[in-house]
Amino acid sequence: MAEQVIPTKKMPPGLQVENVDDRIMTLNVGPQHPGSGHMRIIVKIDGDYIVDADPDPGYVHRGEEKMAESRNYITNIPHLERPVIHDSCNILYPYVLGVEDLVGIEVPERAKYVRVIAAELNRCIYIQYWLAIYGIFLGHSTMFMWPAGDRELLIDLMEKITGARVTHAYFIPGGVRNDVPANFEDVCLRQVNYFEKRIKEYADIFYDNPILKARTEDTGVLSREDAIRLGTTGSVLRASGVDYDLRIKEPYDVYDELDVHTNVLKSGDSYARSKIPWLDMLESCNIIRQALEKMPKSGSIRTKLKPNPKGREDEVYRRVESGRGSAGCHIISRGKPEPYRLKLSVSSFRNLIALPYLLKGEKLGNMPAVYWSLNYWPVEADR
Amino acid sequence: MGTATGIIKALNSGIKHLAVKRFTLRYPEQKLKFVGDGYQFDPASGVAIAGLKGRHMLFHDHCTGCQLCSIACEGVAEAIAMVKVPDKWGQNAKSIMPQIDYGKCVFCGLCVDACPFYALYMSNDYELSSFTKEGLIYTPAQLQVKPQVQQDSELIIDKRGARHG
Repeated sequence: MAEQVIPTKKMPPGLQVENVDDRIMTLNVGPQHPGSGHMRIIVKIDGDYIVDADPDPGYVHRGEEKMAESRNYITNIPHLERPVIHDSCNILYPYVLGVEDLVGIEVPERAKYVRVIAAELNRCIYIQYWLAIYGIFLGHSTMFMWPAGDRELLIDLMEKITGARVTHAYFIPGGVRNDVPANFEDVCLRQVNYFEKRIKEYADIFYDNPILKARTEDTGVLSREDAIRLGTTGSVLRASGVDYDLRIKEPYDVYDELDVHTNVLKSGDSYARSKIPWLDMLESCNIIRQALEKMPKSGSIRTKLKPNPKGREDEVYRRVESGRGSAGCHIISRGKPEPYRLKLSVSSFRNLIALPYLLKGEKLGNMPAVYWSLNYWPVEADR
Repeated sequence: MGTATGIIKALNSGIKHLAVKRFTLRYPEQKLKFVGDGYQFDPASGVAIAGLKGRHMLFHDHCTGCQLCSIACEGVAEAIAMVKVPDKWGQNAKSIMPQIDYGKCVFCGLCVDACPFYALYMSNDYELSSFTKEGLIYTPAQLQVKPQVQQDSELIIDKRGARHG
């Protein structure tokens, strides 16, 4: 038998033919579109067990940060929400807060409450979409249909406020673009109450389901120390027992006037990571009810801004708690109508760092359960 | 809780849904009702009026051909081009009006915010599909037409669940 010839040509990562013993096989998972965006994971497997995993993001890079440098502060709004269209209010929130700092304008009290309501509704919309995909990843078709259907209740509300179903472009430096329609408080309260009743029903069919527990418990365990050391944020951090939520630690707008509770689980496995967003949705319903109650019944909704606002020569960094974790925006201004440099610091990319650690030693069949439990959104990570 | 009880509870939760009314909107027969007549902007107060961001409505008797909508769209989608119109209007010396390419438009509504003369609104019409790319380009004459759409289905929530009716 002739000796095997190994090509010496330099190949892109993941495609090299490696001189390993014949037990280990390199498997190229992706770049497929599992309902979210393109993403590739290069796994090395020994039989059914993963010995090494190398996530390879970057297939949906759009150059949002570079694009922002040539557009003014208002024109940036529609394209900066594109990284996560399902959570468009929350990804735009830090940018808007930063520009308000730079331009130096005050936001009316009522606008702050409307923003909080819109952001919390959007968080629920995002989590419902994420949960639907988590269900289909685990082969649980009912858990795909129910969140996708119930999400419609909140999309209907967002459509009433902003006029668009998914990409809202609603927040603007100085407040929000339009007031909520008449009789909105009653409609919102009715639909949010029904939504809360519906998501409580997910407990029986999904979260208390022994089949799901057998599948996700004790898979991909991230300890408290590792979660802090790897710099994870949001639901991943809170599932590992760290009580950290920017709505409480660094309250923005009117979150300090509302009674916000964080949900913390200690186990740090895929089950805990999938349960935290669901508990967050229940908490969001509470926040929306409080905000509707405390919101001033009338008043200004937007501080008038000059047509082409110029920021002062400074730099700001603001961050908010998005549906996935902390979303930050660093803006450097040189006194021009457009930012000199804009950096989006997103939680998806930081949570992805944990993936190789979690996958080591897992079975290949558990890979989707671990991967999607990280609350990862490929388009946001690539920006 | 034992495994068997858990599975029975999960199945039971699904079976209960056989009695719940269908939530789905049956789209071409039913159409959702929206608030207001579409997204509008009041330049006097600087605040917009809530409504669906659908196809634009252009009021020829208000448009001055100032190109502010086109400038607002430059960094967003570059969907608005200013074109010559045949008829003469007193306020529009150059006789140019916006023509919108819905193949590019992202429906953000920043052009409506930019218009200081109450000339550009957005309407409730969202059914814009066309067989050709050229069919997506709406001329000022087409934008002038008020859409006639039957939208009457609303979200109803009662004891038997939510449905569209």
